[in-house]
Amino acid sequence: MNAMRPVAMGVLAALACVSSASSDEAATAPAATIKRFIGCPVYRDTDAGRKSGCWLVTDLQDGLQYEVTDARIKPILGQQILVEGVVTDKSRELCGAIVLDPVDVSVLPQTCKGFVIPAEGHPGRRFGLPAVVMQPTNVPRVLPAPPYEPREYIIQFELNSDFLLYQYSELIIEQASLYAKASKPRRITITGYAVTRPIEVSGQRIAETLAVAEARARTIAEALNRLGIPRSQMELKWQEAPANYSSGPLPELSRRRAVIAIEL
Amino acid sequence: MIYYPTMFRSTMVRSVAAFSGLAFSAIALWGIASAATPGAGHIDPERRHADKAPTPATASADYDTSSWRRPGDAQPLPARTTYDNSSGALTTLSIGGPVAALGHPFFTPLGTNGRACVTCHQPSDGMSVSVETIRRQWDATQGKDPLFAPVDGSNCPHLPQGDAASHSLLLQRGLFRIFRPWPPRAADGSTIEPQFSIEVVRDPTGCNTHPLYGLNSSEPTISVYRRPRPVANVKFLTAVGFPFEPKNGLPLPLDTESGLPMSGNLMADGRNGTLKIQAREAMLTHLQATAADEADVRTIVEFENTLYSAQSHDRWGGELTEAGADGGPDRLSQFAAGELQGGPQPIWKEFQPWRTLPAPKAGENAEQRAFRESVARGANSFATKTFLIWDAAGITSMGFGNPVRNTCAFCHNMQRTGLDVAPGQVDLGTTNEPFANPAPELPLFKLTCKEGSRPHPHLGRVVYTQDPGYALTTGRCTDIGKITIQQMRALAARAPYFSNGSAKSIREIVDFYDRRYSIGYSEQEKQDLVNLMSVL
Repeated sequence: MNAMRPVAMGVLAALACVSSASSDEAATAPAATIKRFIGCPVYRDTDAGRKSGCWLVTDLQDGLQYEVTDARIKPILGQQILVEGVVTDKSRELCGAIVLDPVDVSVLPQTCKGFVIPAEGHPGRRFGLPAVVMQPTNVPRVLPAPPYEPREYIIQFELNSDFLLYQYSELIIEQASLYAKASKPRRITITGYAVTRPIEVSGQRIAETLAVAEARARTIAEALNRLGIPRSQMELKWQEAPANYSSGPLPELSRRRAVIAIEL
Repeated sequence: MIYYPTMFRSTMVRSVAAFSGLAFSAIALWGIASAATPGAGHIDPERRHADKAPTPATASADYDTSSWRRPGDAQPLPARTTYDNSSGALTTLSIGGPVAALGHPFFTPLGTNGRACVTCHQPSDGMSVSVETIRRQWDATQGKDPLFAPVDGSNCPHLPQGDAASHSLLLQRGLFRIFRPWPPRAADGSTIEPQFSIEVVRDPTGCNTHPLYGLNSSEPTISVYRRPRPVANVKFLTAVGFPFEPKNGLPLPLDTESGLPMSGNLMADGRNGTLKIQAREAMLTHLQATAADEADVRTIVEFENTLYSAQSHDRWGGELTEAGADGGPDRLSQFAAGELQGGPQPIWKEFQPWRTLPAPKAGENAEQRAFRESVARGANSFATKTFLIWDAAGITSMGFGNPVRNTCAFCHNMQRTGLDVAPGQVDLGTTNEPFANPAPELPLFKLTCKEGSRPHPHLGRVVYTQDPGYALTTGRCTDIGKITIQQMRALAARAPYFSNGSAKSIREIVDFYDRRYSIGYSEQEKQDLVNLMSVL
């Protein structure tokens, strides 16, 4: 999923390019099946080392069990989750369910009975560090070199959340702060979006409010400020996500976003 | 199939739409810029609270000064001092050389109650103070030592101060009273609108319901009871390993004085982000000073930065720098702070050489060898034995999932000290029901989250706790019972453990984790971990 546009840089740039290539392929490939449902997560304790284990959830509409382990936010046992993911034909051997990839999980406040089930012969997924991780502070940060041009950084959020996620939002915000320090923009506009139009998923109505959009913008502004960007440089906006906006393989997720626009 | 207990989750049967106005971070609800920034805003009300407490005359008595530094004593602090303890010996270094104590603000009573910083931060006790030392001081001075000052060395200042029962939490659990203004104060002193109401369910000390000192007094105050943290090895405490504080989802707040990121590893409830602020608060509250002199604050902080304290000798294992090991405070002082453990660089690698000791020689001390091997096994277990970590808000609510399989080193991941490189607070369950050890001698609070606020991620909207912890600083429901991770050095010299002294021994720490996370340690594994922790 694109974190930044229109010009990419560094490793995030590579990710953006990969994503773009995938879009071209998608133009000729059969349309992907996107699942969107609310369910109760189950943890399969595959014990394949630290941060291993499988997260499974059944869609009661089709009766099928899906694997959501690769979501950037993992479920909380005992709380329902909103699942948004693309159905794949990847092997089910690792965890024992249909693999969704990419997949996103939003933890909902509604409770449900949570269960831990044994490995039952499944090896589980061994944890591996993401390709790009936050560097320790003792690693010197290098400011991007010129030429500079206007740039946007996009951060996606889980439903009703403005939480800046470890190893995801953090990276994008730090990249934005470094670019802002280097390019000395005349203004940085941070716009929070929320999907306010209620829709029904698995028999439940879900929606966000403008307060969530505002919180997304303000949280990012606070983070940038703590990374050394003056508040006076920032302008904050929040609004309903346009109904026709869609980016990447998970359209609804792409609408729950905030944009950091660096204006030169 | 294991049924996952949900009994302590409040029922949340509203539709998702009903929660749609719920902004998850603090921004829209309580103003993150103020509330999430540890600052000095809470100190004024705490100082006024301290001013209410009497300061009776204290007695000077003849007692063993080899392991107790009395405020105002002229005896210099040597560059190196070694103190015996039940596990062996601890060494405290002053790497700046000997320190003239006479007139030094760390060793001088700065307030009205006769205490100095050193009263509760003794070099013999790893720069904390053990309950054993506390009891010895009580016996030696018949309770007249400034250590037992009514302000926080007794269960509550209104109690009869000559009576040991009035100091029972200090004498039995090593706990000092920590008084926090309610509602919480932001860094600028403004009031934070808390996300929860607080009721006193149990008040065995009488302080939380007292008309002068309690929640309904003219300056509402919550009294909780905590162990003093060591003021040694502080470069590890103040190291900023990563720019973000991932459990809070934000970069570390900036110190308004220096412009640098604050520490996320100071104070049980994270209320002070720098050593300077901590020193000011301590002077005005624990020492009951009328003002905090900035030159004194600077001198204290500079001195604290020179102190290293660690176990240096074990009664079974011998010198902790022998046979390739890198224990003790000397090497500790030389290591870089803030380094993340992992992979080929596991935590406590300083004891790795004891895993592969050379073949025994004739006449070798078999007990010593067995102990060293046990320490090495403990270090290995600490870094590699995985178990399911449940309901530990902070760590299981930041995206890793709940449960998450990991090791002790998941949280205790900073090389050499077991602090958290990516700092923040975790609800381990030492203070919150249902996991906290029963403690009828401690207060119990009922916290009810208000409508529209995000509940505690694992305990729901109503939480019973002995100490709300970080939530007393932020006012957030999600922070109830979260306590800042502690360093693991000098443990043998400063029992009891956990912020509320609920583990009397290192073994009880291990037992708590074993029960809390159903780890299933064998007896040998437990002993290995105990031996490891006793040599840190």
